[in-house]
Amino acid sequence: MAGIVNNITTKAKEQVRPPRVTTEAPWLRATLIGVVTVFVIIFLLLPLLLVFKEAFSKGIMTYFSVFQDSASRHAILLTLLTAVIVVPLNTIFGIAAAWAIVRFEFKGKRLLASLIDLPLWVSPVIGGLIYALMFGAHSHLGLWLQEHDIHIIFAVPGIVIATTFVTFPFVARGLIPLMQAQGKAEEEAALTLGANGWQLFFRITLPKIKWGLLYGMILCNARAMGEFGAVSVVSGHIRGKTNTIPLHIEILYNEYQFAAAFAVASLLSLLALLTLILKSYTEWRAAQHLKVSTT
Amino acid sequence: MSVEINHISKKFGKNPVLRDISLKIETGELVALLGPSGSGKTTLLRIIAGLEFADEGQVSFRDQDVSSQSAYQRKAGFVFQHYALFNHMTVFQNIAFGLKVRKRSERPSRPEIQKRVEALLKRVQLEGYGNRYPAQLSGGQCQRVALARALAIEPQVLLLDEPFGALDAKVRKELRRWLRQFHEETHLTTLFVTHDQEEAFEVSDRVVILNDGVIQQQGSPDEVIQNPANQFVNEFLDTK
Repeated sequence: MAGIVNNITTKAKEQVRPPRVTTEAPWLRATLIGVVTVFVIIFLLLPLLLVFKEAFSKGIMTYFSVFQDSASRHAILLTLLTAVIVVPLNTIFGIAAAWAIVRFEFKGKRLLASLIDLPLWVSPVIGGLIYALMFGAHSHLGLWLQEHDIHIIFAVPGIVIATTFVTFPFVARGLIPLMQAQGKAEEEAALTLGANGWQLFFRITLPKIKWGLLYGMILCNARAMGEFGAVSVVSGHIRGKTNTIPLHIEILYNEYQFAAAFAVASLLSLLALLTLILKSYTEWRAAQHLKVSTT
Repeated sequence: MSVEINHISKKFGKNPVLRDISLKIETGELVALLGPSGSGKTTLLRIIAGLEFADEGQVSFRDQDVSSQSAYQRKAGFVFQHYALFNHMTVFQNIAFGLKVRKRSERPSRPEIQKRVEALLKRVQLEGYGNRYPAQLSGGQCQRVALARALAIEPQVLLLDEPFGALDAKVRKELRRWLRQFHEETHLTTLFVTHDQEEAFEVSDRVVILNDGVIQQQGSPDEVIQNPANQFVNEFLDTK
Protein backbone atom coordinates (compact mmCIF):
# COMPACT_ATOMS: atom_id res chain seq x y z
CA MET A 1 0.00 0.00 0.00
CA ALA A 2 2.70 2.45 1.06
CA GLY A 3 4.63 1.46 -2.05
CA ILE A 4 1.72 2.37 -4.27
CA VAL A 5 1.28 5.72 -2.56
CA ASN A 6 4.99 6.42 -2.98
CA ASN A 7 4.83 5.46 -6.58
CA ILE A 8 1.96 7.84 -7.20
CA THR A 9 3.64 10.76 -5.51
CA THR A 10 6.88 10.31 -7.45
CA LYS A 11 4.87 10.07 -10.63
CA ALA A 12 3.03 13.23 -9.73
CA LYS A 13 6.34 15.00 -9.24
CA GLU A 14 7.62 13.93 -12.63
CA GLN A 15 4.44 14.92 -14.38
CA VAL A 16 3.79 18.50 -13.31
CA ARG A 17 0.94 19.05 -15.73
CA PRO A 18 -2.10 16.80 -15.30
CA PRO A 19 -2.78 14.49 -18.26
CA ARG A 20 -5.08 16.01 -20.86
CA VAL A 21 -8.58 14.63 -21.26
CA THR A 22 -8.94 15.98 -24.78
CA THR A 23 -6.93 14.45 -27.58
CA GLU A 24 -6.77 17.43 -29.98
CA ALA A 25 -3.33 18.47 -31.12
CA PRO A 26 -1.88 21.55 -29.38
CA TRP A 27 -1.84 23.59 -32.60
CA LEU A 28 -5.55 22.95 -33.09
CA ARG A 29 -6.34 24.04 -29.55
CA ALA A 30 -4.26 27.18 -29.96
CA THR A 31 -5.93 28.03 -33.27
CA LEU A 32 -9.45 27.55 -31.93
CA ILE A 33 -8.79 29.53 -28.78
CA GLY A 34 -7.11 32.24 -30.87
CA VAL A 35 -9.99 32.52 -33.34
CA VAL A 36 -12.56 32.82 -30.57
CA THR A 37 -10.50 35.40 -28.70
CA VAL A 38 -9.95 37.55 -31.79
CA PHE A 39 -13.64 37.30 -32.66
CA VAL A 40 -14.70 38.36 -29.19
CA ILE A 41 -12.29 41.30 -29.19
CA ILE A 42 -13.26 42.60 -32.66
CA PHE A 43 -16.99 42.05 -32.55
CA LEU A 44 -17.83 42.46 -28.89
CA LEU A 45 -15.15 44.24 -26.90
CA LEU A 46 -13.98 46.92 -29.36
CA PRO A 47 -17.50 48.20 -30.16
CA LEU A 48 -18.21 48.42 -26.45
CA LEU A 49 -15.05 50.48 -25.91
CA LEU A 50 -15.97 52.65 -28.90
CA VAL A 51 -19.31 53.47 -27.30
CA PHE A 52 -17.52 54.91 -24.28
CA LYS A 53 -14.87 56.65 -26.40
CA GLU A 54 -17.53 58.39 -28.51
CA ALA A 55 -19.60 59.22 -25.46
CA PHE A 56 -16.70 61.16 -23.95
CA SER A 57 -15.46 62.56 -27.29
CA LYS A 58 -16.77 66.08 -26.54
CA GLY A 59 -15.53 66.05 -22.98
CA ILE A 60 -16.86 65.00 -19.64
CA MET A 61 -19.05 68.11 -19.30
CA THR A 62 -20.96 67.36 -22.48
CA TYR A 63 -21.33 63.78 -21.32
CA PHE A 64 -23.07 64.73 -18.13
CA SER A 65 -25.05 67.58 -19.70
CA VAL A 66 -26.87 64.98 -21.80
CA PHE A 67 -28.44 63.64 -18.65
CA GLN A 68 -29.66 67.17 -17.74
CA ASP A 69 -31.77 67.23 -20.88
CA SER A 70 -35.44 66.67 -20.03
CA ALA A 71 -36.10 64.33 -22.98
CA SER A 72 -33.21 62.09 -21.94
CA ARG A 73 -34.31 62.11 -18.34
CA HIS A 74 -37.82 61.23 -19.33
CA ALA A 75 -36.59 58.37 -21.50
CA ILE A 76 -34.55 56.99 -18.60
CA LEU A 77 -37.48 57.28 -16.20
CA LEU A 78 -39.86 55.64 -18.67
CA THR A 79 -37.44 52.74 -19.18
CA LEU A 80 -37.12 52.30 -15.42
CA LEU A 81 -40.89 52.46 -14.98
CA THR A 82 -41.38 49.82 -17.69
CA ALA A 83 -38.83 47.50 -16.06
CA VAL A 84 -40.37 48.02 -12.62
CA ILE A 85 -43.74 46.87 -13.95
CA VAL A 86 -42.60 44.16 -16.36
CA VAL A 87 -40.04 42.31 -14.24
CA PRO A 88 -42.40 41.52 -11.31
CA LEU A 89 -45.18 40.59 -13.75
CA ASN A 90 -42.99 38.17 -15.66
CA THR A 91 -41.52 36.82 -12.43
CA ILE A 92 -44.99 35.80 -11.31
CA PHE A 93 -45.93 34.46 -14.76
CA GLY A 94 -42.63 32.65 -15.02
CA ILE A 95 -42.92 30.92 -11.64
CA ALA A 96 -46.52 29.93 -12.40
CA ALA A 97 -45.59 28.57 -15.82
CA ALA A 98 -42.54 26.67 -14.56
CA TRP A 99 -44.52 25.22 -11.67
CA ALA A 100 -47.34 24.07 -13.95
CA ILE A 101 -44.98 22.48 -16.45
CA VAL A 102 -42.67 20.77 -13.96
CA ARG A 103 -45.17 19.63 -11.35
CA PHE A 104 -48.36 18.78 -13.24
CA GLU A 105 -49.21 16.22 -15.89
CA PHE A 106 -51.79 17.44 -18.37
CA LYS A 107 -52.68 17.29 -22.03
CA GLY A 108 -50.98 19.90 -24.19
CA LYS A 109 -48.14 20.31 -21.71
CA ARG A 110 -45.46 20.12 -24.40
CA LEU A 111 -47.31 22.58 -26.58
CA LEU A 112 -47.55 24.99 -23.65
CA ALA A 113 -43.84 24.56 -22.96
CA SER A 114 -43.00 25.45 -26.56
CA LEU A 115 -45.43 28.37 -26.61
CA ILE A 116 -43.53 29.93 -23.71
CA ASP A 117 -40.61 30.24 -26.10
CA LEU A 118 -42.68 31.90 -28.82
CA PRO A 119 -41.34 35.41 -28.10
CA LEU A 120 -37.81 34.09 -28.70
CA TRP A 121 -38.65 32.78 -32.15
CA VAL A 122 -40.53 35.72 -33.60
CA SER A 123 -39.00 39.07 -34.41
CA PRO A 124 -39.82 41.60 -31.69
CA VAL A 125 -41.24 43.85 -34.42
CA ILE A 126 -43.96 41.27 -34.96
CA GLY A 127 -44.62 41.24 -31.24
CA GLY A 128 -45.16 44.97 -31.44
CA LEU A 129 -47.33 44.73 -34.54
CA ILE A 130 -49.66 42.18 -32.93
CA TYR A 131 -50.51 44.66 -30.19
CA ALA A 132 -50.66 47.61 -32.58
CA LEU A 133 -53.30 45.72 -34.54
CA MET A 134 -55.11 44.49 -31.44
CA PHE A 135 -55.37 47.80 -29.66
CA GLY A 136 -55.10 50.12 -32.68
CA ALA A 137 -57.90 52.06 -34.36
CA HIS A 138 -58.36 49.28 -36.92
CA SER A 139 -59.93 46.80 -34.48
CA HIS A 140 -63.23 46.79 -32.61
CA LEU A 141 -61.35 46.71 -29.35
CA GLY A 142 -59.29 49.68 -30.47
CA LEU A 143 -62.41 51.69 -31.42
CA TRP A 144 -64.04 50.85 -28.11
CA LEU A 145 -60.93 51.95 -26.25
CA GLN A 146 -60.88 55.18 -28.25
CA GLU A 147 -64.51 55.88 -27.37
CA HIS A 148 -63.77 55.45 -23.69
CA ASP A 149 -60.64 57.56 -23.96
CA ILE A 150 -58.31 54.72 -22.89
CA HIS A 151 -54.86 55.03 -24.44
CA ILE A 152 -52.84 51.88 -24.91
CA ILE A 153 -51.09 52.21 -28.25
CA PHE A 154 -48.71 55.19 -28.50
CA ALA A 155 -48.84 55.36 -24.70
CA VAL A 156 -47.13 53.80 -21.69
CA PRO A 157 -49.49 50.77 -21.36
CA GLY A 158 -48.63 49.71 -24.94
CA ILE A 159 -44.91 49.89 -24.17
CA VAL A 160 -45.39 47.82 -21.02
CA ILE A 161 -47.46 45.19 -22.85
CA ALA A 162 -45.01 44.87 -25.76
CA THR A 163 -42.06 44.60 -23.36
CA THR A 164 -43.89 41.96 -21.30
CA PHE A 165 -44.38 39.93 -24.47
CA VAL A 166 -40.73 40.06 -25.49
CA THR A 167 -39.33 39.29 -22.02
CA PHE A 168 -41.85 36.62 -21.07
CA PRO A 169 -39.67 33.47 -21.56
CA PHE A 170 -36.63 34.39 -19.46
CA VAL A 171 -37.83 33.53 -15.94
CA ALA A 172 -39.72 30.37 -16.94
CA ARG A 173 -36.88 29.13 -19.17
CA GLY A 174 -34.41 29.41 -16.31
CA LEU A 175 -36.65 27.77 -13.74
CA ILE A 176 -37.94 24.74 -15.66
CA PRO A 177 -34.65 22.79 -15.92
CA LEU A 178 -33.66 23.82 -12.38
CA MET A 179 -36.92 22.59 -10.86
CA GLN A 180 -36.74 19.40 -12.90
CA ALA A 181 -33.22 18.73 -11.60
CA GLN A 182 -34.21 19.35 -7.99
CA GLY A 183 -37.20 17.03 -8.03
CA LYS A 184 -40.15 17.23 -5.66
CA ALA A 185 -39.03 15.07 -2.73
CA GLU A 186 -38.55 18.00 -0.34
CA GLU A 187 -41.98 19.38 -1.23
CA GLU A 188 -43.53 15.98 -0.59
CA ALA A 189 -41.77 15.73 2.76
CA ALA A 190 -43.11 19.16 3.70
CA LEU A 191 -46.62 18.07 2.70
CA THR A 192 -46.55 15.01 4.95
CA LEU A 193 -45.40 17.28 7.78
CA GLY A 194 -48.57 19.32 7.40
CA ALA A 195 -47.39 22.34 5.38
CA ASN A 196 -50.07 24.01 3.25
CA GLY A 197 -49.54 25.38 -0.27
CA TRP A 198 -48.23 28.82 0.73
CA GLN A 199 -45.91 27.44 3.39
CA LEU A 200 -44.65 24.91 0.86
CA PHE A 201 -43.85 27.63 -1.66
CA PHE A 202 -42.30 30.21 0.62
CA ARG A 203 -40.39 27.88 2.97
CA ILE A 204 -39.29 25.09 0.65
CA THR A 205 -39.62 25.88 -3.07
CA LEU A 206 -38.57 29.54 -3.09
CA PRO A 207 -35.37 29.05 -1.05
CA LYS A 208 -34.43 26.22 -3.42
CA ILE A 209 -34.95 28.16 -6.63
CA LYS A 210 -33.98 31.66 -5.49
CA TRP A 211 -30.67 31.88 -7.38
CA GLY A 212 -32.14 30.52 -10.58
CA LEU A 213 -35.07 32.88 -10.18
CA LEU A 214 -32.79 35.86 -9.65
CA TYR A 215 -30.83 34.87 -12.73
CA GLY A 216 -34.01 34.85 -14.84
CA MET A 217 -35.10 38.20 -13.37
CA ILE A 218 -31.75 39.80 -14.22
CA LEU A 219 -31.96 38.62 -17.84
CA CYS A 220 -35.58 39.71 -18.01
CA ASN A 221 -34.64 43.15 -16.67
CA ALA A 222 -31.75 43.58 -19.11
CA ARG A 223 -33.96 42.68 -22.03
CA ALA A 224 -36.81 44.87 -20.81
CA MET A 225 -34.56 47.94 -20.58
CA GLY A 226 -32.88 47.29 -23.92
CA GLU A 227 -35.92 46.29 -25.98
CA PHE A 228 -36.16 48.26 -29.22
CA GLY A 229 -38.18 46.51 -31.95
CA ALA A 230 -41.48 45.76 -30.26
CA VAL A 231 -41.51 49.01 -28.31
CA SER A 232 -40.64 50.97 -31.45
CA VAL A 233 -43.86 49.81 -33.14
CA VAL A 234 -46.23 50.62 -30.28
CA SER A 235 -44.61 53.70 -28.80
CA GLY A 236 -45.18 56.28 -31.52
CA HIS A 237 -41.83 57.96 -30.66
CA ILE A 238 -43.33 60.94 -28.88
CA ARG A 239 -40.33 62.70 -27.39
CA GLY A 240 -40.63 63.28 -23.67
CA LYS A 241 -43.70 61.05 -23.56
CA THR A 242 -43.30 57.60 -25.06
CA ASN A 243 -39.57 57.38 -25.74
CA THR A 244 -37.58 54.75 -23.91
CA ILE A 245 -33.75 54.78 -23.73
CA PRO A 246 -33.18 52.71 -26.90
CA LEU A 247 -35.68 54.79 -28.90
CA HIS A 248 -34.15 57.98 -27.57
CA ILE A 249 -30.70 56.84 -28.67
CA GLU A 250 -31.99 56.24 -32.19
CA ILE A 251 -33.55 59.71 -32.37
CA LEU A 252 -30.40 61.40 -31.13
CA TYR A 253 -28.33 59.42 -33.60
CA ASN A 254 -30.59 60.28 -36.51
CA GLU A 255 -30.29 63.95 -35.57
CA TYR A 256 -26.48 63.67 -35.81
CA GLN A 257 -26.07 64.29 -32.06
CA PHE A 258 -23.46 61.54 -31.90
CA ALA A 259 -21.91 62.44 -28.54
CA ALA A 260 -25.33 62.59 -26.92
CA ALA A 261 -26.46 59.35 -28.57
CA PHE A 262 -23.36 57.54 -27.39
CA ALA A 263 -23.59 59.04 -23.91
CA VAL A 264 -27.07 57.60 -23.49
CA ALA A 265 -25.89 54.40 -25.13
CA SER A 266 -23.05 54.15 -22.61
CA LEU A 267 -25.67 54.08 -19.89
CA LEU A 268 -27.30 51.04 -21.47
CA SER A 269 -23.87 49.45 -21.95
CA LEU A 270 -23.05 49.96 -18.29
CA LEU A 271 -26.30 48.28 -17.48
CA ALA A 272 -25.31 45.38 -19.74
CA LEU A 273 -21.96 45.04 -17.97
CA LEU A 274 -23.63 45.16 -14.59
CA THR A 275 -26.05 42.49 -15.78
CA LEU A 276 -23.16 40.34 -16.93
CA ILE A 277 -21.47 40.56 -13.54
CA LEU A 278 -24.70 39.86 -11.65
CA LYS A 279 -25.52 37.04 -14.03
CA SER A 280 -22.15 35.35 -13.53
CA TYR A 281 -22.50 35.72 -9.79
CA THR A 282 -25.99 34.21 -9.64
CA GLU A 283 -24.93 31.44 -12.02
CA TRP A 284 -22.08 30.61 -9.71
CA ARG A 285 -24.32 30.69 -6.65
CA ALA A 286 -26.95 28.55 -8.37
CA ALA A 287 -24.30 25.95 -9.26
CA GLN A 288 -23.07 25.93 -5.66
CA HIS A 289 -26.63 25.58 -4.47
CA LEU A 290 -27.37 22.65 -6.76
CA LYS A 291 -24.11 20.99 -5.75
CA VAL A 292 -25.01 21.22 -2.08
CA SER A 293 -28.57 20.01 -2.56
CA THR A 294 -27.60 16.95 -4.57
CA THR A 295 -24.88 15.69 -2.23
CA MET B 1 -54.04 3.83 15.01
CA SER B 2 -55.15 1.13 12.59
CA VAL B 3 -54.78 1.58 8.85
CA GLU B 4 -57.10 -0.14 6.43
CA ILE B 5 -56.87 -0.34 2.66
CA ASN B 6 -59.91 -1.46 0.72
CA HIS B 7 -59.81 -2.63 -2.89
CA ILE B 8 -57.16 -0.18 -4.02
CA SER B 9 -56.35 -0.11 -7.73
CA LYS B 10 -54.00 2.25 -9.48
CA LYS B 11 -52.76 2.68 -13.04
CA PHE B 12 -49.94 4.83 -14.35
CA GLY B 13 -51.19 5.63 -17.82
CA LYS B 14 -52.25 2.22 -19.09
CA ASN B 15 -49.95 0.27 -16.75
CA PRO B 16 -51.71 -1.24 -13.76
CA VAL B 17 -49.39 -0.97 -10.73
CA LEU B 18 -51.85 -2.04 -8.03
CA ARG B 19 -54.75 -4.40 -8.61
CA ASP B 20 -57.52 -4.60 -6.05
CA ILE B 21 -55.36 -4.54 -2.92
CA SER B 22 -56.91 -4.91 0.53
CA LEU B 23 -54.87 -4.89 3.71
CA LYS B 24 -55.36 -4.09 7.37
CA ILE B 25 -52.63 -2.97 9.71
CA GLU B 26 -53.65 -3.17 13.35
CA THR B 27 -52.79 -0.57 15.93
CA GLY B 28 -49.25 -1.06 17.19
CA GLU B 29 -48.23 -3.48 14.45
CA LEU B 30 -44.95 -3.30 12.55
CA VAL B 31 -45.56 -4.55 9.03
CA ALA B 32 -43.04 -4.96 6.21
CA LEU B 33 -44.18 -4.55 2.63
CA LEU B 34 -41.77 -6.78 0.72
CA GLY B 35 -41.40 -7.17 -3.02
CA PRO B 36 -39.11 -6.78 -6.01
CA SER B 37 -38.76 -3.39 -7.69
CA GLY B 38 -41.78 -2.55 -9.77
CA SER B 39 -44.12 -4.58 -7.57
CA GLY B 40 -46.09 -1.49 -6.56
CA LYS B 41 -45.05 -1.43 -2.90
CA THR B 42 -43.82 2.17 -2.90
CA THR B 43 -46.94 3.32 -4.75
CA LEU B 44 -49.10 1.65 -2.11
CA LEU B 45 -47.19 3.41 0.67
CA ARG B 46 -47.51 6.76 -1.11
CA ILE B 47 -51.26 6.21 -1.52
CA ILE B 48 -51.58 5.62 2.22
CA ALA B 49 -49.67 8.85 2.92
CA GLY B 50 -51.75 10.84 0.44
CA LEU B 51 -48.82 11.59 -1.88
CA GLU B 52 -50.53 9.61 -4.61
CA PHE B 53 -54.21 8.92 -5.18
CA ALA B 54 -55.77 5.58 -6.03
CA ASP B 55 -58.05 5.20 -9.05
CA GLU B 56 -60.36 2.98 -7.02
CA GLY B 57 -60.76 1.94 -3.39
CA GLN B 58 -60.49 3.58 0.03
CA VAL B 59 -57.87 4.27 2.67
CA SER B 60 -59.10 4.45 6.25
CA PHE B 61 -57.27 5.63 9.35
CA ARG B 62 -58.88 4.37 12.57
CA ASP B 63 -62.02 3.35 10.62
CA GLN B 64 -62.37 6.82 9.11
CA ASP B 65 -62.23 7.20 5.36
CA VAL B 66 -59.36 9.55 4.52
CA SER B 67 -59.33 8.82 0.76
CA SER B 68 -60.20 12.36 -0.20
CA GLN B 69 -57.80 14.02 2.23
CA SER B 70 -54.51 15.38 0.97
CA ALA B 71 -51.14 14.49 2.46
CA TYR B 72 -50.99 17.61 4.60
CA GLN B 73 -54.30 16.74 6.24
CA ARG B 74 -53.42 13.10 6.87
CA LYS B 75 -50.06 13.88 8.49
CA ALA B 76 -48.69 10.37 8.39
CA GLY B 77 -45.04 10.28 9.43
CA PHE B 78 -43.23 9.55 6.18
CA VAL B 79 -39.54 8.69 5.73
CA PHE B 80 -38.10 8.75 2.22
CA GLN B 81 -35.40 6.53 0.80
CA HIS B 82 -33.20 9.49 -0.10
CA TYR B 83 -34.04 11.36 3.13
CA ALA B 84 -35.60 14.41 1.39
CA LEU B 85 -34.17 16.66 4.08
CA PHE B 86 -34.53 20.41 3.59
CA ASN B 87 -30.99 21.24 2.55
CA HIS B 88 -31.28 24.96 3.20
CA MET B 89 -32.25 24.37 6.83
CA THR B 90 -30.23 23.16 9.80
CA VAL B 91 -30.95 19.82 11.44
CA PHE B 92 -32.84 21.66 14.15
CA GLN B 93 -34.98 23.58 11.65
CA ASN B 94 -35.67 20.38 9.73
CA ILE B 95 -37.02 18.63 12.79
CA ALA B 96 -38.96 21.68 13.97
CA PHE B 97 -40.56 22.26 10.54
CA GLY B 98 -43.69 20.18 11.14
CA LEU B 99 -44.34 22.03 14.40
CA LYS B 100 -43.64 25.49 13.00
CA VAL B 101 -46.08 25.17 10.10
CA ARG B 102 -48.99 24.48 12.43
CA LYS B 103 -51.79 26.97 12.87
CA ARG B 104 -51.03 29.55 15.56
CA SER B 105 -53.59 28.03 17.91
CA GLU B 106 -51.99 24.57 17.68
CA ARG B 107 -48.38 25.62 17.46
CA PRO B 108 -46.23 24.86 20.51
CA SER B 109 -44.36 27.78 22.07
CA ARG B 110 -40.76 28.44 21.12
CA PRO B 111 -39.24 26.89 24.28
CA GLU B 112 -41.60 23.94 23.86
CA ILE B 113 -40.39 23.38 20.27
CA GLN B 114 -36.80 23.68 21.48
CA LYS B 115 -37.46 21.08 24.15
CA ARG B 116 -39.15 18.66 21.78
CA VAL B 117 -36.46 18.90 19.13
CA GLU B 118 -33.74 18.32 21.73
CA ALA B 119 -35.60 15.25 22.96
CA LEU B 120 -35.92 13.90 19.42
CA LEU B 121 -32.23 14.52 18.71
CA LYS B 122 -31.44 12.50 21.80
CA ARG B 123 -33.85 9.78 20.72
CA VAL B 124 -32.03 9.35 17.38
CA GLN B 125 -28.62 9.71 19.03
CA LEU B 126 -27.72 13.01 17.36
CA GLU B 127 -27.38 15.29 20.37
CA GLY B 128 -25.36 18.37 19.54
CA TYR B 129 -25.99 18.11 15.78
CA GLY B 130 -28.80 20.69 15.74
CA ASN B 131 -26.80 23.45 14.09
CA ARG B 132 -25.35 21.37 11.27
CA TYR B 133 -26.68 21.32 7.73
CA PRO B 134 -27.71 18.07 6.02
CA ALA B 135 -24.75 18.36 3.61
CA GLN B 136 -22.44 17.97 6.62
CA LEU B 137 -23.94 14.66 7.73
CA SER B 138 -23.41 11.04 6.67
CA GLY B 139 -26.20 9.03 5.07
CA GLY B 140 -27.06 7.23 8.29
CA GLN B 141 -27.17 10.51 10.20
CA CYS B 142 -29.38 12.05 7.52
CA GLN B 143 -31.86 9.21 7.77
CA ARG B 144 -31.97 9.56 11.55
CA VAL B 145 -32.73 13.27 11.14
CA ALA B 146 -35.48 12.31 8.69
CA LEU B 147 -36.90 9.90 11.28
CA ALA B 148 -36.80 12.57 13.99
CA ARG B 149 -38.47 15.05 11.62
CA ALA B 150 -41.29 12.58 10.88
CA LEU B 151 -41.74 11.80 14.58
CA ALA B 152 -41.85 15.47 15.58
CA ILE B 153 -45.44 15.85 14.44
CA GLU B 154 -46.40 12.91 16.67
CA PRO B 155 -47.90 10.90 13.83
CA GLN B 156 -50.40 8.12 14.44
CA VAL B 157 -48.72 5.99 11.81
CA LEU B 158 -45.15 5.81 10.54
CA LEU B 159 -44.55 5.02 6.87
CA LEU B 160 -41.02 4.19 5.73
CA ASP B 161 -40.09 3.93 2.05
CA GLU B 162 -36.95 1.78 1.72
CA PRO B 163 -35.54 3.76 4.63
CA PHE B 164 -32.22 1.96 4.76
CA GLY B 165 -31.84 1.26 1.05
CA ALA B 166 -29.26 3.97 0.40
CA LEU B 167 -27.04 3.11 3.38
CA ASP B 168 -24.07 0.81 3.71
CA ALA B 169 -24.52 -2.62 5.29
CA LYS B 170 -23.21 -1.79 8.76
CA VAL B 171 -25.28 1.36 9.21
CA ARG B 172 -28.27 -0.43 7.78
CA LYS B 173 -28.06 -3.12 10.45
CA GLU B 174 -27.68 -0.57 13.23
CA LEU B 175 -30.69 1.43 12.10
CA ARG B 176 -32.73 -1.70 11.65
CA ARG B 177 -32.11 -2.66 15.26
CA TRP B 178 -32.82 0.90 16.33
CA LEU B 179 -36.17 0.82 14.52
CA ARG B 180 -37.16 -2.48 16.14
CA GLN B 181 -36.26 -1.18 19.57
CA PHE B 182 -38.04 2.08 18.97
CA HIS B 183 -41.13 0.15 17.98
CA GLU B 184 -40.94 -1.98 21.08
CA GLU B 185 -40.89 1.15 23.24
CA THR B 186 -43.60 3.14 21.48
CA HIS B 187 -45.76 0.63 19.61
CA LEU B 188 -46.36 3.19 16.92
CA THR B 189 -48.22 1.60 14.00
CA THR B 190 -45.54 1.23 11.35
CA LEU B 191 -45.48 0.14 7.73
CA PHE B 192 -42.19 -0.10 5.93
CA VAL B 193 -41.34 -0.90 2.36
CA THR B 194 -38.29 -2.95 1.47
CA HIS B 195 -36.96 -5.25 -1.23
CA ASP B 196 -34.59 -6.86 1.27
CA GLN B 197 -36.19 -9.98 2.78
CA GLU B 198 -33.60 -10.28 5.52
CA GLU B 199 -34.53 -6.80 6.66
CA ALA B 200 -38.25 -7.56 6.45
CA PHE B 201 -37.96 -10.78 8.46
CA GLU B 202 -35.65 -9.35 11.09
CA VAL B 203 -37.65 -6.24 11.88
CA SER B 204 -41.34 -6.88 11.33
CA ASP B 205 -44.21 -8.64 13.12
CA ARG B 206 -45.85 -9.42 9.81
CA VAL B 207 -44.63 -9.53 6.23
CA VAL B 208 -46.77 -8.69 3.22
CA ILE B 209 -45.28 -9.90 -0.05
CA LEU B 210 -46.26 -7.96 -3.13
CA ASN B 211 -45.62 -8.74 -6.78
CA ASP B 212 -47.02 -7.24 -9.94
CA GLY B 213 -49.54 -5.17 -7.99
CA VAL B 214 -51.03 -8.16 -6.16
CA ILE B 215 -50.51 -9.39 -2.58
CA GLN B 216 -48.94 -12.84 -2.90
CA GLN B 217 -48.84 -13.79 0.75
CA GLN B 218 -48.93 -12.29 4.21
CA GLY B 219 -48.13 -13.65 7.63
CA SER B 220 -45.48 -13.75 10.32
CA PRO B 221 -41.89 -14.20 9.10
CA ASP B 222 -41.91 -17.86 10.25
CA GLU B 223 -45.17 -18.67 8.48
CA VAL B 224 -43.97 -17.20 5.23
CA ILE B 225 -40.60 -18.91 5.33
CA GLN B 226 -42.05 -22.32 6.21
CA ASN B 227 -45.07 -22.25 3.93
CA PRO B 228 -44.54 -20.15 0.84
CA ALA B 229 -47.98 -19.67 -0.70
CA ASN B 230 -46.97 -19.96 -4.33
CA GLN B 231 -44.12 -20.34 -6.74
CA PHE B 232 -43.34 -16.64 -6.87
CA VAL B 233 -42.88 -16.39 -3.09
CA ASN B 234 -40.82 -19.55 -3.10
CA GLU B 235 -38.50 -18.26 -5.81
CA PHE B 236 -38.32 -14.74 -4.40
CA LEU B 237 -37.27 -16.03 -0.97
CA ASP B 238 -34.88 -18.46 -2.56
CA THR B 239 -32.89 -15.94 -4.53
CA LYS B 240 -30.84 -14.93 -1.52
